[in-house]
Amino acid sequence: MGNKNHAALVRVGPKFLMKRPEGPKQIVAPVADVFETAEAFVVKLDLPGVEKEKVHVTIQPGRLSVKGEVGVIHRNESSMLLEEIGLKMYYREFNLGDGIDHQTAQAELEEGVLTILLPKTDEVKSRTIIIH
Amino acid sequence: MSIIRWTPTRELMNWPQGLFGMQREINRLFEDVFQGGMQAEENAGVNFWTPAVDIAEQENEYTVKMDLPGVKKEDVKITLESNILTIRGEKKQEKESREGNYHRAERSYGCFQRSFTLPTTVKSDRIDALYKDGILTVTLPKDEEAKPRQIDVKVK
Repeated sequence: MGNKNHAALVRVGPKFLMKRPEGPKQIVAPVADVFETAEAFVVKLDLPGVEKEKVHVTIQPGRLSVKGEVGVIHRNESSMLLEEIGLKMYYREFNLGDGIDHQTAQAELEEGVLTILLPKTDEVKSRTIIIH
Repeated sequence: MSIIRWTPTRELMNWPQGLFGMQREINRLFEDVFQGGMQAEENAGVNFWTPAVDIAEQENEYTVKMDLPGVKKEDVKITLESNILTIRGEKKQEKESREGNYHRAERSYGCFQRSFTLPTTVKSDRIDALYKDGILTVTLPKDEEAKPRQIDVKVK
């Protein structure tokens, strides 16, 4: 199998037909939880083995993309007896709706879990209306 | 000693690299729906998941790596019982996640357990474990006798 020219399809959509990075890494879409609170949207992604410096979060209008690289693992001299994790690179994109305050978005990586907080703009925040 | 469910699809996933990216995604969907459902029934409401593992053999040691994103170090228990290494624990859901209104829920929560039979050549008193960036690495040093030795064979 030709590794160099082989494009890995990460998720459905023409934009995801991207070039493979160097090295024998496969691109994997990390599993995610997305939930909404009154003030914000929260995206949680499992990125085990990715250090803080190797995570790239990009927010553009309408799009959030996350890339994570697993640190170099020296294992030339080792023989793999079981390989379920393997060498991989994480990449995933999300479509964002209107009403997200890009400027105040925050991201935090803890124990291999990336949490992205996308605060809602005032217009879309849910409010309780008091009945007089 | 309980037995861990073997998921052949998980092993197939790694080969050939990257080619089945799409298929893997679809498989995962099916796995989540069907397996998740069946397991929940068997364990009477207890969430059970199986973390992915890599095992490598080096000259002086074996290393077991387990993907445990979001699991607290205190919630992992490693035991060795007559040559069977068991890694078990629980991944608890964060409080703020429980209250949110979900759009997607793909991450696994609940208990996990995996067991491995070790070769008798492992020095059981020198097993070491390290948790970093969501990965647990267990190092199992080999006994001196088990290390590869070079023997010169004289041809007469």
